[in-house]
Amino acid sequence: MLHRRIYQFLMIYFIGFAGLMLVKYSLNLSDYVIPGFSEIGMACRRYFWLYLLAVLNTLAVAILGHLLSICMATLVGIIGRLTIWIGSFIRVAAYNIQAYPIVAVAPIIFILLGDGLSSRLLIAAMICYFPLLLSIIGILSEPVAEIEHFFESTRRMNWQLQVKIRAFENMHKLMTVIVGSATLAMVGTIVAEFIAANAGIGYSIRIALYQSDLAKILVALFLIGICTSIYLVFLEWLGMEIKKRIGSV
Amino acid sequence: MQRQLFDHFGLPVMGLILILILAGCTPEAEKPLEEVSYRLKWLYNISVVGDLYALDSGLFKKQGLAVNVKPGGPEKDAIKELELGHAQFGVASADQVIRAVSKGSPIVVIAQLFQTNPLHWIYRPDKIPLKTPQDLKGKTIGITHGGNDETIMRALLAKYGIQENEVTLFSVRYDYTPFYQGKVDLWPLYRNAQAPIIGAKLIKAGERFDLMDPSKMGIRFVANSVVTTRKMLEDRRETVQRFIKALLEGWREALDPANTEKAIALLLKYNKETPEDIVRQQLPATRILMMPSAKFRFGAIDVAAWQQTEEIMLAQKLIPVSVYVEKLLKPMNNK
Repeated sequence: MLHRRIYQFLMIYFIGFAGLMLVKYSLNLSDYVIPGFSEIGMACRRYFWLYLLAVLNTLAVAILGHLLSICMATLVGIIGRLTIWIGSFIRVAAYNIQAYPIVAVAPIIFILLGDGLSSRLLIAAMICYFPLLLSIIGILSEPVAEIEHFFESTRRMNWQLQVKIRAFENMHKLMTVIVGSATLAMVGTIVAEFIAANAGIGYSIRIALYQSDLAKILVALFLIGICTSIYLVFLEWLGMEIKKRIGSV
Repeated sequence: MQRQLFDHFGLPVMGLILILILAGCTPEAEKPLEEVSYRLKWLYNISVVGDLYALDSGLFKKQGLAVNVKPGGPEKDAIKELELGHAQFGVASADQVIRAVSKGSPIVVIAQLFQTNPLHWIYRPDKIPLKTPQDLKGKTIGITHGGNDETIMRALLAKYGIQENEVTLFSVRYDYTPFYQGKVDLWPLYRNAQAPIIGAKLIKAGERFDLMDPSKMGIRFVANSVVTTRKMLEDRRETVQRFIKALLEGWREALDPANTEKAIALLLKYNKETPEDIVRQQLPATRILMMPSAKFRFGAIDVAAWQQTEEIMLAQKLIPVSVYVEKLLKPMNNK
């Protein structure tokens, strides 16, 4: 699974890279607009390890933010499914808050929390939390009639059992949403770092942009892609393991 | 017989001649205008008032040009647009120009807008009296990592032999809270655009402020200049001349104290977010940075300052080798 993901990412990356080179050489653009092979190679040699550490830093924050979002979304999702009114209220609130562009909200967060870890974490969580929440509410609000009917008729149904049934029956959907939101957590962290943090790959990209250095950005994009792919594969594996364990119980 | 001939041919011929004469008298403005695009460095603010003045007062049109003045922004790079053919003229800072040329970009500088770099550091003179550069020792100084201000501050520290461990460099963003709270002693800002806003807030809070100008300490790092491609200058030199003539006239008029009201009204038309009282403070501040004296020839290129900018970039390894910056400077303001 891992090698397939990496292989797919490399294909996409190098197709994009080839497209850039095609534009560069067909339009005879300078290295300032699109860097050439030698410049990219030099940036790679100079910044690979530095950027790898920065990406790992970002990934660590993204994973924390992602976990935070999953826990919160599950909690709110369970409450949200209790009654129709609360569920509908949370859903509308989530849609509304999700509609705010994070770049407009981020300055307020940074003023309140400073430009340290907490701001990055919160923004990462915010970006992936709402899509997760909406999906979890949707999944947990949907009855699995054929199974739930049995427990209801035997009067053994309680809310914990109901959540378990709905989660298990929709495990594939849940895992897809969780894996999908992992990329959002990564994007959220990078955006946060780009806007105001002092660490992480988003911060490095910002500096590279100040210096109009696309070679560095290409190196950063490569590492972001590889690390994100590894994280996604790990999540998919985790999902399969959970499903196997639940199935065997 | 002659009378008959005149009646038959003379009148129509004379009519035709009259039509041709009238056609020749058609105003030049009715000729199709030559379209060019001009990418600014930043959004519509006080630093582009002259560009807007040239556009709004019809100065470009008078030169036979239909100029599409496009606002800039943090991710917009005029030099890249010139190379890609999306614009024919643009505004770029000197470090951008030098960096681009060092990577083979075929651009030239045709006018220099700011004669003094607007990048200054704001500080509270009551708290930190800055009499000499040595007074920077022990201070917490705001810089934007990767930005111009970092380069300028590092050059300043190097010039006066101040080691990096003798100051605390604080990474800044758009949020001024650390400066307001006194955590940072000196904060970088643009003297003409931001200083009136931040200064007003400090005064409101009962504090005094002053500005540290690196150029007064011997660091003359060039800011915004007008650029075009070498090809454009060679193939369409006459267009470049007409463009720069209109542009510099626009700037001269916008900065002329006699046109203050017109310039302010124009900027407020394009930038509705900045309050009028702030724009009133920004305009004279811009005038000082662009027109050092009333007789100054607007747009003149300060070759020595460009050379110093290149030397600073070389010293800080921002470019690998010299680009011989003087070769890029093609002043058009005296044509």
